Amino acid sequence: MAHILVVDDDVLIRVMVTKMLENDGHRVTTALDGAEGLRLFREDPPDLVLADIIMPTLEGLQLIKTMKQIRDDIPIVAVSGGSRHISMVDNLNLAEIAGAEATLPKPFTKKELNAALIRAVS
Amino acid sequence: MPGLHVTTEQRYSTLLQQVIFAPNLNAREEFLAEAFELGRGALSQDAIPPDELVAIHHNAILCFSQKNPDMKLCDVVDLLTLPLIEMSMAYGMSFREQLEKQYRALLDKRLQESHRLEAVGTLAAGIAHEFNNLLCSIIGFSELAFEGLSDEEPAKESIQQVLVASLRARDLVSTMLQLARKNSGLPSEEIDLISEINSVIKLVDVREKKLEINFSSGVPNAFITAKPGQIQQIILNLCINAADAMEHCGTIDINIESTTSDECLTGVGESAICITISDQGTGIPPEVQEQIFNPFFTTKEPGKGTGLGLSVVHRMVEDLGGRILVESRTTGGNNGTDFRIILPFVDKDKRGTSCQKKCSLYKAHNHGG
Repeated sequence: MAHILVVDDDVLIRVMVTKMLENDGHRVTTALDGAEGLRLFREDPPDLVLADIIMPTLEGLQLIKTMKQIRDDIPIVAVSGGSRHISMVDNLNLAEIAGAEATLPKPFTKKELNAALIRAVS
Repeated sequence: MPGLHVTTEQRYSTLLQQVIFAPNLNAREEFLAEAFELGRGALSQDAIPPDELVAIHHNAILCFSQKNPDMKLCDVVDLLTLPLIEMSMAYGMSFREQLEKQYRALLDKRLQESHRLEAVGTLAAGIAHEFNNLLCSIIGFSELAFEGLSDEEPAKESIQQVLVASLRARDLVSTMLQLARKNSGLPSEEIDLISEINSVIKLVDVREKKLEINFSSGVPNAFITAKPGQIQQIILNLCINAADAMEHCGTIDINIESTTSDECLTGVGESAICITISDQGTGIPPEVQEQIFNPFFTTKEPGKGTGLGLSVVHRMVEDLGGRILVESRTTGGNNGTDFRIILPFVDKDKRGTSCQKKCSLYKAHNHGG
């Protein structure tokens, strides 16, 4: 089973995704923003990253780009629910350009989450 | 009327003489203005055709010159004709300015309306982000709870209902976002109207326990081109309005037919499909009918309607290259409203029965006031 780093500023989503992934036997580390995500990424290298795109301090697209610069083989799933200024579809397209292997629009089901993880590692 | 012509001619002629023999400049301008008004008034009331007025003017000058042979004809023209032409041009300019002003006001009004819709779109996009996060938690935790319960647990079925409703809410947010961002989102595809309408009926059935929906289709393969969710949004909005109009108790009739009627096809194309949604509610008074598609217009109590439902429907139908017609009866014991949505048909070879008769009826009602 894998070590997954979940970066999302929404506490409910962090708790929920952690439970879903832990139920499947994965080890989960969570960060509440991009800066903390990057710190944990360096301190406790994960096998896979699940990153929200709209976040305070370090924005998700920048986070994905920086992580890829540090380790270009790290599989990343970009998650987004859209924002006031940019649509969810545009956000996720940008995330793919930034280097994310898979994208996951919010809200998602457990099945969709698993499918995105598989896409990212395959 | 010849009598009127003579009177006008006499008055006009007298005024021209008064202009020439006016004691001072002010008096001359007053007589000129009066002559101009007389001429303009006669023209605007169709009392005298323009050619005839010119002839009257010409005769008056000639007659005046004959009576006053010591005055040069060119001086008379200088005194009379030129100022009248100038006044006429000035009037034409001010009339044009007035028209332009009215036109600009109309454009501004339309622009304001489109800005209002745009504001709603921006608002929707902002809320949708928050809403997507909340829905994500609702869906995820419901799934976790569902998995944690054994099949015998009565709560398991309730949690499944929460899940179903949350997934519907997800689709609605997605449709709302597509509406706000017209040019992005999912591409258009061939949509099966019958299956789309059936899914809306299921949704309304859950909400409206005392409501019956009769759905019939005279077209076996009713396909149109639309973005996923658009048709559901249109039908859902119209059904919600129909339910409100009948105080959530009664029958809504939904019918699909193909149409070849000119009334229905104007601006739509060679062949079209007609979806009729009829209720037996209180009906929409004629003075209100003109406003129902305006954004923020609502007859519902504060807090019960945003006034956006029908404007959204109108915009979506227009985006699909279609038209929406409304016919409503508020008196005569047969109260109710029919909304008719005409959409371009994908397959011309799969036509069903025609709604020509009904559309002609609509035309007759409309022309009857």
